[in-house]
Amino acid sequence: MMSELPLAGIRVADFCWIGAGAYTTRLLADLGAEVIKIESTVHLDSLRLAPPFKDNDRGVNRSGYFADRNSGKSSFTVNIKTEEGLNLVKELIAQSDIVTNNFSAGTMDRVGLGYDTLRHINPAIIFLGMSTHGSDGPESRALGYGATITAITSLMYLTAFPDGLPAGTGTNYPDHIPNPCHAVFAVLAALRHRRRTGKGQSIDIAQTETMLALMAPGLMDCSANGREVQPSGNQLPGSSPRGVYPCAGDDRWIAISIQTDLQWAALIDCLGGTALRQPDWASHAGRVRDCAQIQSEITKLTIGRDAGALFEALQSCAIPSGIVQNAQDLVDLDPQLDHRGHWKRLGHKEMGRTVYNGLPFKYASVELGPNRPAPLLGEHTEQICRNLLGLGAGEVEALKGRGVLS
Amino acid sequence: MGKGEKMAGDCRPNGQLALGGITVVEFAGPLGSYCGKMFSDLGAEVILVEPPEGAGMRRKAPFVGAKAGQKSLPFIYENGGKKSIALDLEDSGDRKEAMHLVERADLLLESFRPGVMAQYGLGYDRAKERNSSLVYMSISLFGQDGPYAAFEGDDLTLMAMGGMLYLAGYPDTPPVVAYGEQAFGAASQFAAIAALAAILRAEATGHGERIDVSVQEAVTMGLENAAQLYDLTGRVRRRGALAAAQAGIGMIPCKDGYVFALAFGVGETGQRQNLVKWLTAEGVPGVEALQEECWARAEFLSTDAAKQKFDSIFRPFARERTRDELYVGAQRYRIALAPVNTPADVLRSIQLHSRGFFVDSNMVEAGVPFQMPGAPYKLGETPWRRAGPAPDLDEHRTELTDIGGRAAAADRGE
Repeated sequence: MMSELPLAGIRVADFCWIGAGAYTTRLLADLGAEVIKIESTVHLDSLRLAPPFKDNDRGVNRSGYFADRNSGKSSFTVNIKTEEGLNLVKELIAQSDIVTNNFSAGTMDRVGLGYDTLRHINPAIIFLGMSTHGSDGPESRALGYGATITAITSLMYLTAFPDGLPAGTGTNYPDHIPNPCHAVFAVLAALRHRRRTGKGQSIDIAQTETMLALMAPGLMDCSANGREVQPSGNQLPGSSPRGVYPCAGDDRWIAISIQTDLQWAALIDCLGGTALRQPDWASHAGRVRDCAQIQSEITKLTIGRDAGALFEALQSCAIPSGIVQNAQDLVDLDPQLDHRGHWKRLGHKEMGRTVYNGLPFKYASVELGPNRPAPLLGEHTEQICRNLLGLGAGEVEALKGRGVLS
Repeated sequence: MGKGEKMAGDCRPNGQLALGGITVVEFAGPLGSYCGKMFSDLGAEVILVEPPEGAGMRRKAPFVGAKAGQKSLPFIYENGGKKSIALDLEDSGDRKEAMHLVERADLLLESFRPGVMAQYGLGYDRAKERNSSLVYMSISLFGQDGPYAAFEGDDLTLMAMGGMLYLAGYPDTPPVVAYGEQAFGAASQFAAIAALAAILRAEATGHGERIDVSVQEAVTMGLENAAQLYDLTGRVRRRGALAAAQAGIGMIPCKDGYVFALAFGVGETGQRQNLVKWLTAEGVPGVEALQEECWARAEFLSTDAAKQKFDSIFRPFARERTRDELYVGAQRYRIALAPVNTPADVLRSIQLHSRGFFVDSNMVEAGVPFQMPGAPYKLGETPWRRAGPAPDLDEHRTELTDIGGRAAAADRGE
């Protein structure tokens, strides 16, 4: 028996844009919420013009980056700098359950849509703000992206090889996982509170703080013991050797992580040769001591081998290992992701069928989203005007003529 | 931890607990530990079911003090306020005890290998018979089914298999894994939202859910645009792509370390004008070149000519200044530029202290007070709080078992 999506019947008036905010409300849409993305054709969500574009043809409805983060949403374009536009948005919020934004702190207040205004329009509203540094404090106005958040939180410093340049994830990582997940969890908690009490509330997220919540051990070690954790590449206390090793082909690597002496013995057998058969290395302490030498001996044994075949061989000996997979591996070749139906191919009006990330979790009783593509800019403006705001066709045309719906 | 840890940060405002009344039975494991923490910190009762020798995380570095065997800092962090009971799931009596806990739970959280819970007689079907509104959450490396379901791995190998590892590092170095076992954290976070959404529905309908989280798939959520780049253009995104994407992005050396900048923003923004204002005010030579119209176009920003020109203007300016000086200027002129901080820098952050981010813990038995990350969200009506110290092994047995429950009832004269 199919059951309902968990957020069926919940409406989100969504001012989120670019990275972290957009993925947050996409997750809400995947869980069944109706998400109305409130956009401007003048101040575009800059992700609409971020590559890659379908056919390398730049256009506001052609970015794959934008599409993946906005599937399942409706797009409503409105100029909130006009009084009429602002009133339409307030009317929409009066009929919504959640209002979301990831603008710089203070922006919603400045445009007349701060929580203190909105809770008078709708006392049960849940208001989510997720600025870079949170709504208060001396740096609250500082501009940031995911990548600058990795710098300021020390993730970039700590993600590096010893004596190497700080590297980080090479992406705007906090935008993709830590911030969207924490924001959705907080919103769900607030929905529960509202169901039990009838009360809405305001949620203030600092994107730096959600990232730091996932970096506790180094901070606590520094605070408790005065020890400053240093970048250690792919090493981790308790595992040795642990690293990535080159394989045959262009930029192909295998990751191997040895946690027990038994796994080490299995690795020696699996890789063959005699160089790793040192009695000292049978124990963890010996392997930690000679870690650099072991890494270079393992490299000699992996360098000519096919990463995929080696992965299968290592796994057949129960050795923790993984191919360092690139996007082609993941989208076209990985049999596990294929089995799980991870990638969704959704038909978009301008882009045709393109790839979207599916959710990393499954419900047994119902298929979760995404199941609708990203919206065209303003695709649902008229529909929302008529169905939710009660405007007739003539009124919509008149508003358009005055530039209110742009 | 245990009774020795006093919570200086536990001054609860008058607000209620958003997740009060929810009971979570967490079978201890590294994949689900942070998920249990998220529930505990917003008010759920989280029961940590540990093996007789204690959860593996109790032995995880770093520790309080110099030696292994002391209190584990990651364990303290992720288990605040949880209740511990030690159960040997190889033992039928203890399995029965576990099922009694599950009968009254809203959420079961487990991260054994696929199939292990069923072997213990604690699989979904058995649990559902006893508790039809139960949300049954399984987290595993690759998901409950499929060709890799039984494969071995750890955080590094899952970051590899999920694709984030390939993107991290520099073109001339091997891939480097993100600090902090982010793959496991990602699985825990997605598990938390999947579970709470299902609990909300279960509370309304009485129907539970079975949920299956894959660590590998959780990692693929962090690919940024790499899957779409490949799908739309056939190009495989390589390491260093973010910094190589356009002028003004990347690590910039300064007087006392590095800053990281996205000096023109992401996509097409108006931030170039801010940059010009800043550099003009600072009297930086050559800044007028950035006024030329070509800099407004993303295509130009991605050329080597643009990158070299930007570097020739900005880098000499940065080299003469400290991270703090550059960050102050960037804030004033609204440029995305931040210091590349160390953990010690983070602990000193005026911004974080101003928001009261860190939570104090007073480790009386270890003799060192220390701070740890606090609220990742501020909910106005239902504030986050650390629910209490991390438990000693089996600390709550009496309270949690039938025998204990009956004894307590007898004490009350019932």
